[in-house]
Amino acid sequence: MTVSTVAVAFEGVMFRYGGDGAAAWTLDHVSLAVARGEFIGIIGPNGSGKSTLLKLIAKLLQPRSGRITIEGDPLEALTHEAAARRIAMVPQESVLVFPYTVAEIVLMGRYPHQRHERLRPLTSLGWESEEDRRVAAWAMRQTDVFQLAERPINELSGGERQRTMIARALAQEPEILLLDEPTAYLDLSHQVEIARILRRLNEEHGLTVIMVSHDLNLAAQYCDRIMLIDAGRLIRLGRPEEVIAPELLHDVYRCRVIVDRHPISGRPRVTLPGREP
Amino acid sequence: MKAHAGVAAAPSEHAIPVPRGAVLTRARWATVLLGLSALAVVTLAASLLLGAVPIAPGRLLMILAELMRHGHGAVDAVGSDAAIVLYLRVPRVLTGFLVGASLGTVGAVLQALVRNPLADPYILGISSGAALGACVAVLFGVSVAGLGLSVLPLCAFAGALLSIFIVYRIAAAGGGGRLPVQTLLLAGVILNAIFSALIMFATSLMTPARSFGMLAWLMGTLTGPDLIGLLLLTAYVGVGVTVLFRQASALNVLSLGEEAARTLGVNVDRVKLILFITAALLTGAVVSVSGIIGFVGMAIPHIVRLLFGPDHRLLLPASALVGGSLLVIADGIARTALAPSEFPVGVVTALLGGPFFVYLLVTRKRGAMQVAA
Repeated sequence: MTVSTVAVAFEGVMFRYGGDGAAAWTLDHVSLAVARGEFIGIIGPNGSGKSTLLKLIAKLLQPRSGRITIEGDPLEALTHEAAARRIAMVPQESVLVFPYTVAEIVLMGRYPHQRHERLRPLTSLGWESEEDRRVAAWAMRQTDVFQLAERPINELSGGERQRTMIARALAQEPEILLLDEPTAYLDLSHQVEIARILRRLNEEHGLTVIMVSHDLNLAAQYCDRIMLIDAGRLIRLGRPEEVIAPELLHDVYRCRVIVDRHPISGRPRVTLPGREP
Repeated sequence: MKAHAGVAAAPSEHAIPVPRGAVLTRARWATVLLGLSALAVVTLAASLLLGAVPIAPGRLLMILAELMRHGHGAVDAVGSDAAIVLYLRVPRVLTGFLVGASLGTVGAVLQALVRNPLADPYILGISSGAALGACVAVLFGVSVAGLGLSVLPLCAFAGALLSIFIVYRIAAAGGGGRLPVQTLLLAGVILNAIFSALIMFATSLMTPARSFGMLAWLMGTLTGPDLIGLLLLTAYVGVGVTVLFRQASALNVLSLGEEAARTLGVNVDRVKLILFITAALLTGAVVSVSGIIGFVGMAIPHIVRLLFGPDHRLLLPASALVGGSLLVIADGIARTALAPSEFPVGVVTALLGGPFFVYLLVTRKRGAMQVAA
């Protein structure tokens, strides 16, 4: 792989929460490379370090040692604003205290592109340009919330709110989209809907998508490669059939599961063992 | 700069813009603020007419015209009512406006900062910190009457800054240096209790006359500073409020949450520092001239949000104008309802604003609600 085709690279990245005491939690010397245009799923047990990995890419956390590069550029050399023009993140939970409309929220995604506007003395309020409004409208159509533009966010369903948050991230016009359990609180049809939107963005626009998910089947069906993490270590990064394997899952999750083939996609499918007949 | 491989909207074919009704436009911004400014001017003028000595509108215009033409040296020539207008009503009405405008703006800023529509300078303990500072100054011999330009406002700033510093430290002690919202509010509540106890203690040590004056001031009064003090207050509030206005779009993004704001490129720590210090200084100034006036800081942003939406570019200046106007109206009531005696304006703000606030909250749908996406 040449440098320019690598979207995200970790070289010996180490991260530690808390001090150096025994209780400290560590992400241990992780090295990996995600190619441009890949759809990556991150799976692993609770507290294994999935969200930590995502936050390191989002520049929300800084590694103790090692190096993270984005399209070949060291992440630490980018300002937060410059990073925000290249990496967008949909957090696991967005607590929205004030009743902004969908369009207002999506337009907030234009913040990292409005620096020049904010620096002008008489327009320091950061008014949106035509360009901003055009990109926001495009983002809203990508996630099918354009018809909800005028609705206050607190009147929407969980699925509609999550699509709004993805549109806000798209309005940043990122190279890399990070999502932390985007389907966690959604019912089945909304889970599929979100997964399809992400897949389409990935295929039609070449967007690199990195998604943390607890749902092994969702990851297996929609991701190009899957990253399995356990206790701060990268156990495996590979195609779904390489990672979704009964022995490997048992080692990590300490739980026996049945893995067979999905009848249509042919991808691995995880089933709980259930009761003996 | 190198070209990115990121997603981008196709330039021409989908050029349907965002519907105008869905976002704040410059036209709506200007219309609302012009309307509210007109309301503020009418309110200010009307309250110059009201008081123990009523003054007819025509007479007021004449007095103001004379004073403009000859400066305040001409007061005696114009008449005793001119002295009332110049030395009593103008300072009082303008002080009321500045205090209300500051409280409204600071309340809106704090609510966004701690992402809690219940936050205001009082709940976070900033006001009682300022009041304690002022109280200590009085205990050591500074007169309550000399509020305009004395050691007292400095002590109030110091108290406000001290309390915001303590709130910050308590919250940061939790770990990571970040400020979790609930911890911050709890820290404010505890600080408030301690400061209130200390204020009561300090008041109990004063001579009866002093402690009575202290009590009246604490309840929120707008007796008004002298003209120099008024000019200082105007400049001070003008600068402070402008600093807050300039952070409006950062505040919009911050209300998505600190982490989200960071991933959108907001320098969260710097913005928070600017906003907290400016809010503390404005609160110190306001408390030192008017004591503790409740309700305004919490309720004005609510009302403005219900009427005009939550975008801080409009919310902050609109809260300033509405807050100023409302406090002037409330003070007008406090001066005239039981004339010739007066009662604290803090009583009026709570009794007038509370029911209105409840009414809006119950009848309008775009209320401030906790939503998890």
